[in-house]
Amino acid sequence: MARFIIPFRIRLPGRGKPKPGQDSIPGDHPEESVISSQELQNLDLSADLQTNLRRIRAIFSECSDVIYREFDFAQDERIKLALVYVDGMSDKIQISAQIMRSLMLDAPLVESEEFTRARALTLIKKKLLPIQQLKETNNLGKIIDAVLEGDAVLLVDGHATALINSTRGWEARSVEESQTEMLVRGPREAFVETIRVNMSLLRRKIKNPNLKIESMKLGQVTKTDVAVVYIKGLANNKLVAEVRERLKRIKIDAILETGYIEELIEDNPWSPFCTVFHTERPDKVAAQLLEGRVAILVDGTPYALTVPLFFVESIQNPEDYYERSLFSSAIRLFRLLSLVISLLGPSLYVAIVTFHHEMLPTSLLLSLAAQREAVPFPALVETFIMELAFEILREAGLRLPRQVGQAVSIVGALIIGEAAVRAGLIAASTVIVVALTGIASFTFCYSASISMRLLRFPIMVLAGALGLYGVICGVLAILVHLATLRSFGFPFLFPVAPLSAGDLKDAAVRAPWWAMLRRPRLVGMAHPRREATGLKPSPPPARGK
Amino acid sequence: MVGMVLPTAFLFVTAGTSRLARQDGWISVLLATFVALLIARLVVSLSLRFPGKTLFQFPEVILGKWPGKVVALLYIWWYIHANAEIIREFGSFLAAAFMPETPLIVFELLIMVIAAYAVRNGLEVFTRVNEIILPLILGVVIILNILATQEMNLKKLLPVFEYGAVPVIKGAVMPAVWMGQIVTMAVLIPSLNKAREAHRIAATATSITGFFILLVIISDLATFGPQVNAGWFFPGLNKIRMIHLANFLERLDPVVMAIWVAGGLVKISVFYWAAVLGSAQWLELEDYRPLVLPVGAILLALSIMAHDSIMDLFVFLGTYMGPYSLTIFEAGLPFLLLVVAVLRGQGGARP
Repeated sequence: MARFIIPFRIRLPGRGKPKPGQDSIPGDHPEESVISSQELQNLDLSADLQTNLRRIRAIFSECSDVIYREFDFAQDERIKLALVYVDGMSDKIQISAQIMRSLMLDAPLVESEEFTRARALTLIKKKLLPIQQLKETNNLGKIIDAVLEGDAVLLVDGHATALINSTRGWEARSVEESQTEMLVRGPREAFVETIRVNMSLLRRKIKNPNLKIESMKLGQVTKTDVAVVYIKGLANNKLVAEVRERLKRIKIDAILETGYIEELIEDNPWSPFCTVFHTERPDKVAAQLLEGRVAILVDGTPYALTVPLFFVESIQNPEDYYERSLFSSAIRLFRLLSLVISLLGPSLYVAIVTFHHEMLPTSLLLSLAAQREAVPFPALVETFIMELAFEILREAGLRLPRQVGQAVSIVGALIIGEAAVRAGLIAASTVIVVALTGIASFTFCYSASISMRLLRFPIMVLAGALGLYGVICGVLAILVHLATLRSFGFPFLFPVAPLSAGDLKDAAVRAPWWAMLRRPRLVGMAHPRREATGLKPSPPPARGK
Repeated sequence: MVGMVLPTAFLFVTAGTSRLARQDGWISVLLATFVALLIARLVVSLSLRFPGKTLFQFPEVILGKWPGKVVALLYIWWYIHANAEIIREFGSFLAAAFMPETPLIVFELLIMVIAAYAVRNGLEVFTRVNEIILPLILGVVIILNILATQEMNLKKLLPVFEYGAVPVIKGAVMPAVWMGQIVTMAVLIPSLNKAREAHRIAATATSITGFFILLVIISDLATFGPQVNAGWFFPGLNKIRMIHLANFLERLDPVVMAIWVAGGLVKISVFYWAAVLGSAQWLELEDYRPLVLPVGAILLALSIMAHDSIMDLFVFLGTYMGPYSLTIFEAGLPFLLLVVAVLRGQGGARP
């Protein structure tokens, strides 16, 4: 297990050891302050406040953002208190108003016998802390974790127990409109970087106690919150267990984005196709959950993963389900066409122009030949150059600072398009084909469009070498490859192969809602029925009959 | 799931063959379908007697160890040889019809690489591929034939039985050979989900195949008449070349190429898989994957060396393949095995 992790030494105590129980390497503790998480787990608080504080300070040495606030309880010098929290991760107003104010000022100023050191902890907990979530612990490891998560830890002198006040609050982006997955009709909100908010977005859509959110922490250094979300009773138990299993396997130092997890849990790591779906739309995730799939949320990223993914989903879009079915079906077919174009557009062009002139009508052939007469390159090279130029433009468009966007689009459109044709470097028809291919690749799911972009080039080479035979062989090879793929054990080409006639209702076309009686057969097996029969609406019977 | 493999596999190879019976070719096909149905019945009955055992395993049970091994070896040879012929045919068609200057080996190598990839990943993979390809192919064949109706004249099918029954029977041999490859069911049945339905699957597959071959041969004959057909290697292709649609769809032969390559892939994969699986079972290996590459190399080499030219190939297919394949491997040996099994009372109680 340990070989998955590069041994790392850092000064953050408790984070230096990849796995509890692993043998410590001699010389792994260059300084006394570096304590393994194993040791930390076993370390209990002492009754003496100063000893506790010294220990915590030693662990958080050189962490300038950790605040230690020592004060007296109810202006009584006998009872000392200390508050430890991380600046910027806790809600300052809450800490000062609800913890410190109530303990220092609002506590009754009675110097009676009741307020002894012995009873202080109970009194504080029961009567004096107006904090909604309060936990008690005597374990140093838990205290450290709580502080790092933004909680304020209250230490009471004379007690070997600390109170963890839930005061998490930090600067976070508010829920905004999705930037990458656009819709005309449908909810606008998108996930944010805070996992709790994301959970609430899902919970608001599915108000059901069966919506289960299992939390775990991944990443030995980052301790990132990860949640497995599913609907009990709808999701296949084996699938949920499999997801849990694969997540538990992960032993890595950091999880900064869902992509880390995706690469560590997918079935076919070397495939150009992505078999785990990612989205930033809560409505999409909710729909996936309702079909019996499992979602994985990761703290710190607005993307959620859902599994399993089927290939047909790359031409589907949440809006298909919000728009009327006839229109959605037509649009889906267009997307399918775009998918084919974005994979095969340039290679078909190369094959036809190079080998199969007879396929074109004579007039078209003549005009093509006239255009290409001046071009110095063979069709393959020409198309390759243009495709590369387009890829460069696309990448530049993504990364460039917003202020220079205008310049790049002018340069891209004018120089590479217009001027290249005028100069006789590139045939106008090539520009048309490449532009069409590029635009077509934006119409369907982004992760699928990446695969298509990638596979376009080898097929172009095949087309340039062997003509249509090469293209067909390329497509067949991709098809065979797709047939070998599985997403969490589910065949990737479902419902086409293995064929499931009922599920074709929601594949390349979408049947109206009243006709989609069942959940997808493979994932929704646990509870196949989605709705009552006979929901098809019809006008009321005519009057006077 | 698995049963769908067969129709494609046997579908397109016939397009350019079977001209012996002249305008009565369609009767030959009917006859051949009938023969193939008998073979299917025979093979499935035999196979169902030995559940879980393939064609390469049950001869041992029936005939004893060494004779059984010999029969299994013969079948492995047949699969390798037949597949080499198929690959050769596949490449020859592409080379002759589309790209005459490209060496044969280029076509064959490329398709073999894909087939090897599919075979290595197992039966499930290429049956899934087939599940996608098959409806497309069947659809395209029907559409192409409908588009070509303009050129057809059913009177060219007349007169019936101009030369008597003998040429019809001779003509039936070749399609029967192709459809008789349903004998592969004996290898597939142990992998079927629903082995009990094997009879139905085999019969359906054979009938669909027969129907499509019939369709193709009738439309070929109706378009060109028997004399022209007999003179061409690939009359089906020439028929498609005659389609003109809306001044735009001028030449649809690349479509023919697409279905040929796709169907060819599945067919080659099935036979390839059978040969590899057979060899593994013959050698009593646990995993057949180490054999994929060696068998592939043999197939490729054999397909190149087997014939000097496309003429040689056609003569061979027309004259020798019939008696060789049909009488020995598709009908003869299974029949013999069934008889012995029944006489010795081996296998399940169901006949």
